[in-house]
Amino acid sequence: MLFKEWKLKEIVLMSILGVVFAFIYLGFFLFGQTLRNFLIPFGLAPFAYEFIFGIWFIVSIIAAYIIRKRGAAFWSELIAGTVQVLVGSPAGPMLIISAAIQGLGAEAVFAATKWKNYTLPVLVAAGMSAAVFSYAWGWFNSGLAALAPGLIIATLLVRIVSGALLAGVLGKWIGDQLAKTGVLRGYALGKERQKPRERKAS
Amino acid sequence: MVSSINPSLKGITVLIPGVLLSFSFDIYTPLVFLIFMMLFTFLFSGIPLKKWLLFFTPFIIVALGFAWMTMLYTSESFAGGEHLFSIWRFDVTTGAVMTGISLALRSLCFITLSLLFILTTDSTKFMLSLMQQLKMPPKLTYGILAGYRFLPAFRHEFHILKQAHRIRGVGRARGIKDRLEQMRRYAIPLMANAIRKAERVANAMESKGFTGSHNRTHYHYMKINKKDWMFFSVINGALVLTFVSSYFLGYLNIFGIRVG
Repeated sequence: MLFKEWKLKEIVLMSILGVVFAFIYLGFFLFGQTLRNFLIPFGLAPFAYEFIFGIWFIVSIIAAYIIRKRGAAFWSELIAGTVQVLVGSPAGPMLIISAAIQGLGAEAVFAATKWKNYTLPVLVAAGMSAAVFSYAWGWFNSGLAALAPGLIIATLLVRIVSGALLAGVLGKWIGDQLAKTGVLRGYALGKERQKPRERKAS
Repeated sequence: MVSSINPSLKGITVLIPGVLLSFSFDIYTPLVFLIFMMLFTFLFSGIPLKKWLLFFTPFIIVALGFAWMTMLYTSESFAGGEHLFSIWRFDVTTGAVMTGISLALRSLCFITLSLLFILTTDSTKFMLSLMQQLKMPPKLTYGILAGYRFLPAFRHEFHILKQAHRIRGVGRARGIKDRLEQMRRYAIPLMANAIRKAERVANAMESKGFTGSHNRTHYHYMKINKKDWMFFSVINGALVLTFVSSYFLGYLNIFGIRVG
């Protein structure tokens, strides 16, 4: 069965993270739209979304970093995509497919470490992998195939860097900040934090 | 009425053209399908025309922007044809213009498809149908529905946080560094509260005997009838007809290769 090794509270936490980030994503969608309209006259419009693209992978990183179970990266992103459709994102059901592909990109990296390693380099790699996966889908779906190769390489590089920083680094930072507040005591990340503290006390 | 169609099947119905249209790089295919989808929306969807236009119009501008960008940056394999004009350091050819228009029409097709879905679909029914028809785990379904219900609460909490900051004399943010710090001050407590809520909801669900098994009863049973399949076949039949006619008329262009 799916989610066999998961506790209910982990599933609910992942769902709620998905809902919260769906709204953050929608906000960034509007922001990117403005940025793009601003850049169109300069012919730099293709880069508008690439700079901020990493933000769309962040929930994968945060959920995987906190919960540390197989599927966390994939499902949290899928939930965020689905909730955006529920709220009425104009991108519609197609968003579910792009979310699934981005989630797979991040999940692939965690799978490569057998869901054991959640250090910064792995989180950054997950963000970069999500960027590459999402680019491949965009290449097909938005017709990027018709664009000049030089532009494709440049936008892909910007997206990978954005995935590394906005998803990988920022995602870990948010997870750490949340762990500091103590609300994650019941989850893998919080438990890991508690161990050194207990050792100190004894 | 499209609003009575089973949400999962409706989602799949609009996803298929969304994927298949991505193969075409000619003008005819997306244009014919766009006209069909618009007629379908006006005649059968029950969406008020005014509301639909309100959502649709902004995307005409987005699509034009996209067409413009594609025109400037078309790759060589697509940019055949006569040289039309130059702007700044870009040369625009007929091939580039055709590709740009095709991609713009494609994105408008996507918008009509997704508007047909989002303007006629109830979010709770969509979730219930994902669980009952597509076998999404009930734990996930009810987790998402619970999270969805919390959204108004987040807004309320945000106001409380804001007032709490103000009464303690935390000033308004000036400059980018202040702004970022302010974002952290709001985002982290809001998310911490969300996590606490998640834990409480999960405990409440378990204490009331929620096991998350598919073997359960439902208050709302979602079903797929003949009518739902009819909707599916009309939309996707029209898509197939569009592709076939495009092929026989010699317009069809798959990834830059003319096949018709």
